[in-house]
Amino acid sequence: MANYFNSLTLREQLAQLGKCEFMDPSEFADEANYLKGKKLVIVGCGSQGLNQGLNLRDSGLDVSYTLRQSAIDEKRDSWKNATENGFTVGTYDELVPTADVVLNLTPDKQHTAVVTEIMPLMKKDSCLAYSHGFNIVEEGMQIREDITVIMVAPKCPGSEVREEYKRGFGVPTLIAVHENNDPRGEGLAIAKAYAAGTGGHRAGVLLSSFVAEVKSDLMGEQTILCGMLQTGSLLCYDKMIEKGIDAGYASKLVQYGWETVTEALKHGGVTNMMDRLSNPAKIRAFELAEELKDIMRPLYEKHMDDIMTGAFSSGMMEDWADDDKKLLGWRDETSGTAFETQENTSDEIAEQEYFDHGILMVAMVKAGVELAYEVMTASGIKEESAYYESLHETPLIANTIARKKLFEMNRTISDTAEYGCYLFNHACFPLLQDFMKKQDADVIGRGMGLNDNSVDNQRLIEVNADIRSHSVEAIGTTLRGYMGAMKRIV
Amino acid sequence: MITFRHAEIKLSETFSLSQISWQINDGQCWAITGPNGSGKSALVAALAGEGELRSGQRDLGEANVAVVSLEEQSRLIARERQRDDSDLTDEINEGTPVQEMLDETCQDFELQKRLIDDLGLQPLLERGFRKLSTGETRKVLLTRALTSKPQVLVLDEPFEGLDVATVPRVAALLEDIAGSTTLIMSLNRLDEMPDCTTHAMRLESGAMSQQFECSDGGQAARLLGQISQIRSDIQLPPPETDIEVPLNADGTLVALNKARVAYTDNLVFENLDWHIKPGDHWQVKGPNGSGKTCLLNLITGDHPQCYVNDISLFGFKRGQGESIWQIKQYLGFVSTGLHWDYRLSVSVRNVIVSGFHDSIGLYQKATDKEKALADAWLELLGLSDRATDSFSSLSYGEQRVVLIARAMVKHPPVLLLDEPCLGLDEANRQLVLSLTDRICEEGATTLIYVTHHDEDKIHAIGNVLDLGNR
Ligand SMILES: NC(=O)c1ccc[n+]([C@@H]2O[C@H](COP(=O)([O-])OP(=O)(O)OC[C@H]3O[C@@H](n4cnc5c(N)ncnc54)[C@H](OP(=O)(O)O)[C@@H]3O)[C@@H](O)[C@H]2O)c1
Repeated sequence: MANYFNSLTLREQLAQLGKCEFMDPSEFADEANYLKGKKLVIVGCGSQGLNQGLNLRDSGLDVSYTLRQSAIDEKRDSWKNATENGFTVGTYDELVPTADVVLNLTPDKQHTAVVTEIMPLMKKDSCLAYSHGFNIVEEGMQIREDITVIMVAPKCPGSEVREEYKRGFGVPTLIAVHENNDPRGEGLAIAKAYAAGTGGHRAGVLLSSFVAEVKSDLMGEQTILCGMLQTGSLLCYDKMIEKGIDAGYASKLVQYGWETVTEALKHGGVTNMMDRLSNPAKIRAFELAEELKDIMRPLYEKHMDDIMTGAFSSGMMEDWADDDKKLLGWRDETSGTAFETQENTSDEIAEQEYFDHGILMVAMVKAGVELAYEVMTASGIKEESAYYESLHETPLIANTIARKKLFEMNRTISDTAEYGCYLFNHACFPLLQDFMKKQDADVIGRGMGLNDNSVDNQRLIEVNADIRSHSVEAIGTTLRGYMGAMKRIV
Repeated sequence: MITFRHAEIKLSETFSLSQISWQINDGQCWAITGPNGSGKSALVAALAGEGELRSGQRDLGEANVAVVSLEEQSRLIARERQRDDSDLTDEINEGTPVQEMLDETCQDFELQKRLIDDLGLQPLLERGFRKLSTGETRKVLLTRALTSKPQVLVLDEPFEGLDVATVPRVAALLEDIAGSTTLIMSLNRLDEMPDCTTHAMRLESGAMSQQFECSDGGQAARLLGQISQIRSDIQLPPPETDIEVPLNADGTLVALNKARVAYTDNLVFENLDWHIKPGDHWQVKGPNGSGKTCLLNLITGDHPQCYVNDISLFGFKRGQGESIWQIKQYLGFVSTGLHWDYRLSVSVRNVIVSGFHDSIGLYQKATDKEKALADAWLELLGLSDRATDSFSSLSYGEQRVVLIARAMVKHPPVLLLDEPCLGLDEANRQLVLSLTDRICEEGATTLIYVTHHDEDKIHAIGNVLDLGNR
């Protein structure tokens, strides 16, 4: 199989990368009706499989599960999940031939094997759905010509997909139709009905392409989302220890710091996050971020280039074939770092203190978000996609670090993200050594401790203008506005 | 010995206790009463050392204190959720088994064994704590507290959620330890005041309004002298629109045929036939764990096994292409589960408006008419001044009455009330019973009502389904 993206002409590549638009709620007036009376068979009953299935059934659709034989024989958790929830469960042979739509919700790494096995069993003129496009785009999986191929990707973990549905709401969702496989032109209608069946239409749906979803998702997760936060955690913690800050305090400041500062990011973008700092600290963070961006730009560009050429995915697939040797080695390494093993102090850290003592962390978030966004948009990815895969998701990942530090973050994210995160960290950690040598505890751990907060007016105006005029701020304001109209009313 | 002197204690941004002067000597048994929102739970929290002492004194002594309360229950469930990584790791787990929860605080395994027998916990020991019903959870908390051998035992509503058979057993347990253990209980129902009560107090708006010594619970109840006012004058605000409800072919609203609910290791019930006709109001009873909540959830569609049962309602046979929202539009519903799910920051008014949309939280702007109707309900509840406050700033009992108004606001064809009076004071209990009577009399609503309390009578009810005795 050849990388699908690489098989496209430049013109086609640009057209697909540049596809991403926010769909008007009126497009979903028909709710899930298009799929009423059709048979939906889900492969795999894990986090997405179970929770999407529960929602689809509650929306009046006919849902059953097919699992690999061993899962049924051994009554594994996936079998129990489906059975206790009152779903029909069967083997591939029993159920796949009856399906109008097959929803492939197995782990990405298994997709080639799973799809190869079920495709011959699929009914003529049926539909195959994914929640992530790696298999199609990076592995170049070829699907039979009569089969429609779509993607419906909720931008949240499965448990959240269910909880929001039960409240009468949903989670933001991205949908796409694979151009090569839309023989009857009904891909979009199926994808819309599927998204509505999971409740996604109530929270906002983006119409994108397989290519844009995969390339931007990979870029975001390995650079700003997971990579930057991992490298930043290790560097900031080590610096504080070197400068004699209490280890329990340092550990807590880093673990919860990302969540606290990115909460400000979530509400009001980089501007609001920076505004939480005092004026002198803001100017300092701005300057640090500028320096970080200069140092890291080539690395971000390399990640984007490797993702675009397919070098990243082929490297990772080699590791899959090598029994995940690299991945498992890196995972071990992370679990043994000083930051990971240090206990937190039980002393409270006030919300504002996370900003005042975490100037460097704020600078790292700003640099990472802006770089990832700039590099993505410079590579033909649309602003909307770039925003979602950088700024929008950063608080979600920061939240997993707040829960149980890096090891857990890496366990939570997909294998693909985890692999990319380690790859980034291995290059970025050494890259920032010289920069870190120049830093002191005033930017991380102790705060600037100024009695006098005065700054040069002219300089402050320049810095503020620079922060506010970044393109991620403009698109962020627009998109947060759309989503705001679809938010819980307080 | 525990002493408060002119204490002012701030428990949250919006609630403080003031002028608390209170001495509790070893071996006394105190009953605390007062309306919803008067500060009973706050006082219990203050006894556990919570809140900020703004002035006066608070001396909690050295005693080993155990607390059983809804807050404690929420805290443990939240801890279970925190431990449960299923959202992170994509694995589903049952959580900590009951036996482990019991052992965690146990100082006396003899006593633990006796309590397991007395309270019928044996069949639950392997079950995940999170999976228990309200009453079952209560029993586990009581056992945890009693076996931790506390010198002071604080019980917020000790009998709340317990079935008829268990109440006297718990009362007897309390009699056993009274005298050797200091007991402090908050109670909404005066008729439940245990005989071992030696002292009683009444709270009002965060301050003590009455405090005295007494010979037993009966005397305390008389001295606190609450006379319940049945309110016959109540007028319900009208519905937003009249709902036309389709019936099943046999003229029923709801029909369950040979219903069965089972988990891998546990059969809850089977062979249950139940047909509900318009205007036939039902009470459902049965011991803790007999499946009352499961049964109601089959009707609301919140129980996944509704899809493997033969259930017809409102002209739909479940699992034939109808959506859950087509069912819910004809239902109003209150239960402890719903109350738990409603932990969102939403204003009190919008919680009521969400009843028009069957949602938890509100996702579209309320119309002027919806707002006006919600406000009329708030006036009826005496909560007009709280309309724009956050729902979570209300006391548990106040939240309950708001959720009941949410369930009634559209005058649903079927109203399901699962222990609606849980956590309500005397006045609110009477209010809720009167509202329920009223909505039944109006004729558009058929009631399904679950309660352990025979005294919480709804006059219109003519049918009883007893799950403990079918
Ligand atoms: N998690 C998220 O936040 C998220 C968000 C959006 C999209 N997605 C996408 O959703 C899809 C599913 O992810 P997930 O997180 O839900 O996965 P998951 O929780 O790991 O579930 C995987 C399911 O697939 C089954 N499975 C594993 N290997 C298999 C094989 N070789 N053959 C057949 N079945 C197999 C497993 O069952 P047994 O092992 O018992 O057979 C299990 O039921 C992925 O494409 C992912 O990218 C995930």
